[in-house]
Amino acid sequence: MTPTLFTIGVFVLLPIIYAIFLSFHQVELLGGTNLEFVGFDNFARMIDDYRAGIALWNTFQYVIIVVPTQTLLALVLAATLNAGLKGEKFFRIVYFLPTLTSSAVLTLIFMWMYNPEGAFNQFLDLFGLPTYNWINDPNVALFAIMIMNIWATAPFFMVIYLAALQDIPDSLYEAAELDGAGPFQKFRYITVPQLRPITSFVVIMGIIGTFQLFDQSYIFSGGSGGPSNSTLTVVLLIYQYAFDGIGRMGYAAALAFALAFIILIATVIQRKLSKEETIY
Amino acid sequence: MKKHLVGFSAVALLLAACGGNNGDGNNTTNDGSEASSAEPIELTLSGWGSSPAESEIFNATLEKFMEEHPHITVNFDVIADQYMDVTRTRLIGGNAADVFFLDAFEAPALMETGVLEPLDDYITDDFNIDDFEDPLLEAFQRDGATYGLPKDTSTLAMFYNVDMFEAAGLEGPPETWEQMEEYAQILTDSTDAFGLGVVADLARLRYIAESKGGQIATDNLASFASPEVVEALQPIIDLKDAGYAAVPADVGADWGGEMFGQGRAAMMMEGNWTISFLEDTFPNLNWDTAELPTIDGQEGSMAYTVAYVMNAESEKKDAAWELISWLTGPEGMAEWTGGGFALPTRNSVSEELGLFEDEIRAPFAEAAAYATVWADDTNLPIINNNFNNEFLSAFLGNKSLEDALQEAQDVANREVE
Amino acid sequence: MKKISVKRSILYVILSLYALVTLFPFLWALSSSFKSLEEILTHNMNLIPQNFTLDNFRFIFMEQPMFMRWLFNSVLVAVIGTALNLLFNSMAGYALARISFPGRKSMFILVLAVLMIPGQITMIPNYLILNQLGWLNSYHGLIIPAMVNATFIFMMRQFFVNFPKEVEEAAQIDGLSRVGTFFRIVLPMAKPALAAQTIFVFMASWNDFMRPLIVMSDQSMYTLPVGLNQFKGVFITQWNYIMAASMVFTLPVLLLYAFFNRYFIKGLSLRGDK
Repeated sequence: MTPTLFTIGVFVLLPIIYAIFLSFHQVELLGGTNLEFVGFDNFARMIDDYRAGIALWNTFQYVIIVVPTQTLLALVLAATLNAGLKGEKFFRIVYFLPTLTSSAVLTLIFMWMYNPEGAFNQFLDLFGLPTYNWINDPNVALFAIMIMNIWATAPFFMVIYLAALQDIPDSLYEAAELDGAGPFQKFRYITVPQLRPITSFVVIMGIIGTFQLFDQSYIFSGGSGGPSNSTLTVVLLIYQYAFDGIGRMGYAAALAFALAFIILIATVIQRKLSKEETIY
Repeated sequence: MKKHLVGFSAVALLLAACGGNNGDGNNTTNDGSEASSAEPIELTLSGWGSSPAESEIFNATLEKFMEEHPHITVNFDVIADQYMDVTRTRLIGGNAADVFFLDAFEAPALMETGVLEPLDDYITDDFNIDDFEDPLLEAFQRDGATYGLPKDTSTLAMFYNVDMFEAAGLEGPPETWEQMEEYAQILTDSTDAFGLGVVADLARLRYIAESKGGQIATDNLASFASPEVVEALQPIIDLKDAGYAAVPADVGADWGGEMFGQGRAAMMMEGNWTISFLEDTFPNLNWDTAELPTIDGQEGSMAYTVAYVMNAESEKKDAAWELISWLTGPEGMAEWTGGGFALPTRNSVSEELGLFEDEIRAPFAEAAAYATVWADDTNLPIINNNFNNEFLSAFLGNKSLEDALQEAQDVANREVE
Repeated sequence: MKKISVKRSILYVILSLYALVTLFPFLWALSSSFKSLEEILTHNMNLIPQNFTLDNFRFIFMEQPMFMRWLFNSVLVAVIGTALNLLFNSMAGYALARISFPGRKSMFILVLAVLMIPGQITMIPNYLILNQLGWLNSYHGLIIPAMVNATFIFMMRQFFVNFPKEVEEAAQIDGLSRVGTFFRIVLPMAKPALAAQTIFVFMASWNDFMRPLIVMSDQSMYTLPVGLNQFKGVFITQWNYIMAASMVFTLPVLLLYAFFNRYFIKGLSLRGDK
């Protein structure tokens, strides 16, 4: 345990403590640290920050839609691919590919699929559905990122579910079969409850990951969070404050802790809802 | 655990106290004594990545410097991505390279904080600093000191598709803005491309925005919602509304050169970096260049420039100056810009290279004389960000230009205060 | 019997449709790695290269003089890092799930809390610490800070929480120590979880871009992603090389995943309750 504690202490806690320290200061780190203690000013400033409100609202929508969808998709995929179907191995490998693809390549692919004449719109058109300017229309840009993210993240959690499914004793299923349970009942009354601790992990990691969405919105909007702030996320805003302009590192740190606090609350709510901690 | 925490916070405070301003002990050797002898010196130079062909020319230029200055070895460290983030982080840690690239856009923030070495004391008369284009040099000057010497520049000009022009019965590129609007319509109607490709970015549009007497920024605050700026930008919105203009993303392209190369735009305002890209990637495309159309009889373009700057904490400043002065001197600059990827910033080198006679490159070389340099003050990154964020909305017809810019300006200035 | 096979066919149709959705972008990236930049940019979505070329791979393998060195660095960092992570995360996860010690609950909350702080804000402090330790531009500067990962401590805890207590109790009655129980009984039971962890930790290290970019300043210390990203210009992106490089990155992880998949199949797990 000692190396674990050491590493977490030095490389995880220490930077966080340093960031906490920064959040109470007006600070420019370049050129001989200029520190000015400002108490809670950085936290108070958030209330008037128009873009912080938008970023939080965008991020919130994102979490609410993406977390349940990707969790459910991952669970269903894993359960299906664990049922002993023919060709299961092939599907497992193919389904894992999105997680493997590098984000630069993903961006290019999705830029093409999402452009007004791209594959996505052609597909929608085929079914007579409305088409959109996916990347540049403020009303749908966030959804475009959501779709891409669910597609790329679900396989990650699918693999974790696959691993967890191996730990469910076969005897449980055998007993259920004797009682005449069908595949759906077995899934509902054995698989889902048995996987509860893992689902809890998947959901909490999903909440953390989605609240911290940065890469895709940075790439899609060229760093601006546009059009019209529609893809601005909290972490993108933190990044802009930390790296554009000067003297805003303290405020960026304060925003980061406000975000961490919001994630904490969301996690607590999740745990209350799932009641997983009865295992203690 | 408590006890540990106390220990950690003590270290944290210590770090905070000495985080930024240290050269960090481990290499505090001689300062300045290296110029006297031929003692070997290793310099680090950092910059961003580029295409393989471009890197080859740059490395050859460095090789030549080392041949002529055998006592200096230059290690070129390419920062592959997020250049400014990495550079800032290294500067804060006191580990940045001795000499590094700096874009004029980012320069004020670094000049302001004192991490750059002022070069005035190194510059001698033979260096002939008057040879540089003034606006480019000014982008790296602050409060009377010079912090960087522009290594090269790039300007915007018009790329046009010759085959499409012929198909549309047009002869030669448009010379005035009104003519361009007319051509955009004709080209859109008679080919399957958009008449005009537009990059909806303040870095590209600033000279247009300021063509009617407005300023995008005044006293380090955003002022792009002024009636003059709105009036100047409105024609672009109108072209888009009429379907004669499009942004690269509309056709799934990553940037203007791709859109033009794919044959999806008949005219495109792009930089000289596009030349080698089109030559290498689309050898069969029939295109030409021209100066940008005049607005109200005024010539206009944008210029982007990058300087070599010296780290104020470098311990090899004399050698660093040898490198900077050679690379931005007539010989080094001719060596590098002779590769054709960027334009020289010294008048003498432009003439020596005969750029004004080179048909393809002349419009860019000409533009250097009248182009607006993409640089302002410390808040330009914030102003730029907010402009781009909302301008696109107006461009796509979701908001009126006036409302979009007013909103962006208010947000930018609230963020700045 | 007939009814089941109809259901099966529907299931296969759905599975195959989803497979198309996941397979297509990958196949397209694969085929693009054999195309010229012009072809990638003009014939947007064709899967079969019109002018098949190996130039992109030749460029990556032959014309990057440091390629072998970068590959070595990447492998070294990823392999050692993965081994350390497996050991430490699993031990920490087990401790949090099963060993009662004072402050266990607060430790667990701490592990979770650490995950909630965005990395963008701890990047600079992290760099300053490595700087103070003199660990910049070194292998240990890359490996040691990443040898424990809160995500996977959390994941391992969730796996161990679910394990039947009886097996461990039996082992302890048989006279095995805590440590002995962990290595001889608990870890073998956790093979599927360890396999998942191996894949993800390896993949994270293998693809990691930002950390090596900041920590390593000497060309000879670059990892593959940093080294192979140098041809990405400010204005112009060489998609042909990026596609080829991404295939080079993807392959080892794909093989690793295919190999470890054997631990995700019923019947191979070593549980006694079949």
